Amino acid sequence: MGRRVVITGLGPISSIGTGVGAFGPALRAGRSGISPISSFDASGFPHFMAGEVADFDPKALLRTVSPADWGRTSLFAAAAARLAVEDSGMDPEELSRSRAGSSIGTTSGESQVVERLTAEWVDRGLTGLTPELVRQVPASRLANAVNQELGLTGEAVTLSTACSASNYALGYAYDQIHTGDADYMIAGGADSVCRWAHAGFYRLGALTKEACSPFDKDRSGILTGEGGAALFLETLESATARGAHIYAEVLGYGLNCDANHMVAPDPVSIAECMRRAHHNAGIEPSDVDYICAHGTGTPANDAMESRAVIEVFGEEPPPMSSIKSMLGHTMGAASGFGAIASALAIDQGWLPPTVNHRTQDPELALIDPVPNESRPARPRVVQNHGFAFGGNNAITILGRVA
Amino acid sequence: MNATALPDARPEAAAGHLPRDGALAITGWGTVCSLAIGAEEFSAAVTEGRSGLRDVTGMFEDEDLPAAEACAMPDFRVRDHLGRKGTSFFDRSTSLALVGCSLALDDTDLAVGDDNRERVGIVLGTTAGSIRATGEYSRETLVQDRPYLVNPMLFPNTVMNCAAGQAAIRHRLKGVNATVAGGQLAGLSALRYARNLIRRDYADALLVGSVEEFSPHTAWGTHHLYAADDGRAPVGEGSAVFVVEDAAAVHRAGRLPDAEVLAVEVGTYAPADGRPEAGDRGRPGAAEGLATCIARALERAGAAPSEVWAVASGESGVEHRDAVERRGIEAALGTAAERLRVKRSTGECHSASGSLQIAALLGRHRIDPALDGRLSVVTSCSPDGAVGAAVLRGWHRARRDHRG
Amino acid sequence: MSQAVNADHLDELREIVAEVLEVEPEEITETSSFVEEHEADSLRAIEILARIEKKYGIDIPQSELPNMGNLRAVHDVVAQHAGWQA
Repeated sequence: MGRRVVITGLGPISSIGTGVGAFGPALRAGRSGISPISSFDASGFPHFMAGEVADFDPKALLRTVSPADWGRTSLFAAAAARLAVEDSGMDPEELSRSRAGSSIGTTSGESQVVERLTAEWVDRGLTGLTPELVRQVPASRLANAVNQELGLTGEAVTLSTACSASNYALGYAYDQIHTGDADYMIAGGADSVCRWAHAGFYRLGALTKEACSPFDKDRSGILTGEGGAALFLETLESATARGAHIYAEVLGYGLNCDANHMVAPDPVSIAECMRRAHHNAGIEPSDVDYICAHGTGTPANDAMESRAVIEVFGEEPPPMSSIKSMLGHTMGAASGFGAIASALAIDQGWLPPTVNHRTQDPELALIDPVPNESRPARPRVVQNHGFAFGGNNAITILGRVA
Repeated sequence: MNATALPDARPEAAAGHLPRDGALAITGWGTVCSLAIGAEEFSAAVTEGRSGLRDVTGMFEDEDLPAAEACAMPDFRVRDHLGRKGTSFFDRSTSLALVGCSLALDDTDLAVGDDNRERVGIVLGTTAGSIRATGEYSRETLVQDRPYLVNPMLFPNTVMNCAAGQAAIRHRLKGVNATVAGGQLAGLSALRYARNLIRRDYADALLVGSVEEFSPHTAWGTHHLYAADDGRAPVGEGSAVFVVEDAAAVHRAGRLPDAEVLAVEVGTYAPADGRPEAGDRGRPGAAEGLATCIARALERAGAAPSEVWAVASGESGVEHRDAVERRGIEAALGTAAERLRVKRSTGECHSASGSLQIAALLGRHRIDPALDGRLSVVTSCSPDGAVGAAVLRGWHRARRDHRG
Repeated sequence: MSQAVNADHLDELREIVAEVLEVEPEEITETSSFVEEHEADSLRAIEILARIEKKYGIDIPQSELPNMGNLRAVHDVVAQHAGWQA
C-alpha cells in the first residue's frame, strides 16, 4: 500500500490572475483572459486574439533565479512553483533540504526563445545567433528552473507530451511520492504564446476569431494561451502533521496512446484512458462528480471527448466544463490549470463555468457544460482531462480527503 | 521458449540468475548513428574503437556549416529504411527515432501483437524536438507573403512528442506514450520514467531511448557555445532505442535479457556552466551531486564500487564540464573502472548521448562473454546542473538463441 | 458547373496531390477519390489546399474542402478561385 498524496499549494500564473487568491475568484466569475496579441506582431493574421499573461512580472515573483538568464516559459514554471510553495506554507529552507523535486509539462518549451533565434537567423544567418539565447533552448530547463529557484536537489523532469503534459507531470509526481522515492514534488506545466503555433492552428482551421466557445453548437476552434500552473504535493501524513490546508487528494491517473493519427482525437482510445484512470484511482464512473474537460472548442475535440464520456458514463454523465473558454488553450500548462481548477472545485464547492456559451449543440445534448455561470456544488471526485497531438492521452483523478 | 542453453554460458548468465526487485530487463536494442546502424554493427564498431566522423560539406543546400566534419549521416534517408508511404513529412529527429524503434523491435524476442499492444508503449528523450523543423516553421511565418502560409502537414513536427507519437502510429503501440525533454540527461531520464511505468504496472514493455538530429542549427548553436573548447567532440546525431521490460517477468518466461537496469538516479545541483544562481551559496555542486547519485544507484543495485567494470561517461572534451563529471565519478568509484568516452566515437549527440553510452556498454557485452554478469555505470551531466547515473548488468548475445 | 480543363494545370495539381498523399502521380486519376482510394485525411486535405494557395497566390476558403475530393474536383474549385479560363 503506497502513501496517500495530497495537494497543499497552488501556483497559477494566468491571463485571468496570478496566485490562487486572484485566479480562483476570476475563474469562479467566468472572467475572460483573451486580448489582442502583444507578444508578437500579429498584424498579418486574420485572427489576432490570445490569452496572454500581459502582467507577468518574474522579478516580483522569483527569489533565486535571475530572469535575464532564462526564457519566458522557464520563468513561468519557476514563478508558479514559487507561488505554490508559498501557498502551501511549507518552509522553503526545510523543503530544499528534503527529498524534493519537480515534474513540469510543456508543449513548445522555450518557444519565444526559439522565435528570437529564428528572427536572428532570418536577419543575419545562423552565424549571427546569440549564444546566450542558444543556451536557453533546451526544454529541460523548465523543470530545472523550478529546482534552481527552490534549491531542490531531487529530480527535475520536463515532460514534453504536448497539450496533456501537465497531467503526465502530475501523475509522475504522484507516483514519486506514493512509492516513497520523494517526499515533496512540484507538478505542473508551462508554455508561452508563440507565432508559429498561432500560424499552425490558424492554418489547420482550428483557430477561432474572438471567443473560444467549447461545446457550443457554433464553436469554431481554439485561441492560444499561456502561463504557468504549479501544484505542491506531499504525503497526507506530512500535510496533516504540519497542519497544512489540503485542497484535494491525488487519487490516481491514466495514460494511453491513440496510435492512430497525430492530430485527430480517437474517442475509443480516450474512453480507454478514462477506464485506466478510474482503475488506478480505485473508483467507479459513478463516483465522478465533475469533469474538467480538455474542451478545446474545436468541433472535433468536443464531439469526440463527449462521445468518449458518454461511452464510459452512460446517458447521464457528470457536468463537464472547459476553462479554456476563459484562458484559451495554454497548451502544456492546460491540464495543470485544469488540476488547479479541480482542486478549487473540491476545496471551495463550485464548478467553473464554460463561458461564451450561446447555443447548446444538439449533437451534445447529454453534456452539461455548466454554461456561462459557475455553479455551487460539492464535488467529491473530479476527473481532469488532457489530450494531445501524438494521441497522448492523460487523465488525472482528484478527490476530497475523506 | 527460446532460452536454449549455450556451451559457454556462465552460471550467472543462465536463466538461474534471479533479478533484483524492481530491475528492468533490456531484451533488444537498436542504434542509428554515424558510427553504425543496428546493434550488431554498433557493437563491433564500439569494440574496435571506430570513429563516426564524416565529411558533411554539402549536406545542406541552403546553409553552410561551422565545420567540414561531424558525426552525422549525410546519406541517411528515412525512406531507405521505412519506405515512402507515411514518411515523407517526417522531420529528421522523427526519422532517426522511428528507425531506432524498428531496429530495437527487430532485435528483441518480445512479440508485439493484438494481445499486448495496449500494454506496450514508448518513452523517448529529446532536447527540444526537431529544432530545425520548428525553426523552419517559425521562419515561414516571417518570410512568406502572409504569415499564416505555413504547411499544415509539418505542424505536428513542431511539437516535441512528434517522434514518439509517430512511432506509436507506425507500430500501433497503444500503451503509455511519453516524451522526456532531458537534454544531456534525456537518455537516463527516459529510462527512469520507464522504470516508474513498469514498476507501477502501467505497461508491460516499452521502447525507451533518445534522439538528436544534426542540422545547421544544432551545429551552429553548439559552435556558438563551445567554439573556444578545441578538444571537444564533433557534433553528432543519432538515436538509440531499447526494448525495456520487467526483469522478473522476463526471467519467469525463461527469456534471457541483454542487460538489466538495476538503478537510475538523478538530481539537480549548482550548474557547471554559466552563472551560478544567487541561492547557490552552500549548495552542493554538480560533481558532489553526481557522486551522490552514483552512490545511491549502487546502493539500490546492491552493489559495491569495486564491482563496476566500466563507466560510460558523457565527457565531451569541454574541459570545465568534463572536470565536474570526472570528479563525481572518481569520488564515487575511484579510478579502477575502465572509462568509455563514447562521444569520441559518436560525437556530441546531446539528448541521444546517454542512450548511446548505454548502447556502447551493451555493445561491449554483446560480443564479449568474459564480461557476462558484470556491472557498469552510465553517467550524464547537463550544463544546467542536472546529473544522473544508471547501473547496468550485461551479458553477451550468443547465449540466446534469438530467433529460435 | 464543371469547367473546361487545362492539361498543364491538371498536371501541376496532380503533382501537388501526389506529393501530399505520398503516391505516384500516375496513381491519381481525375476521378479517383482521395479518401477512399489514397488514404487522405483532413490534415492532408488542408495541406493540398495550402500548397495550391501558395503556388497560385490565391485564397481558397476551407469551406471548399468538401468539394475537393478528387483531382477533377480540385481543378474546378481552383479554376473558379484563380479565374482560370480554359
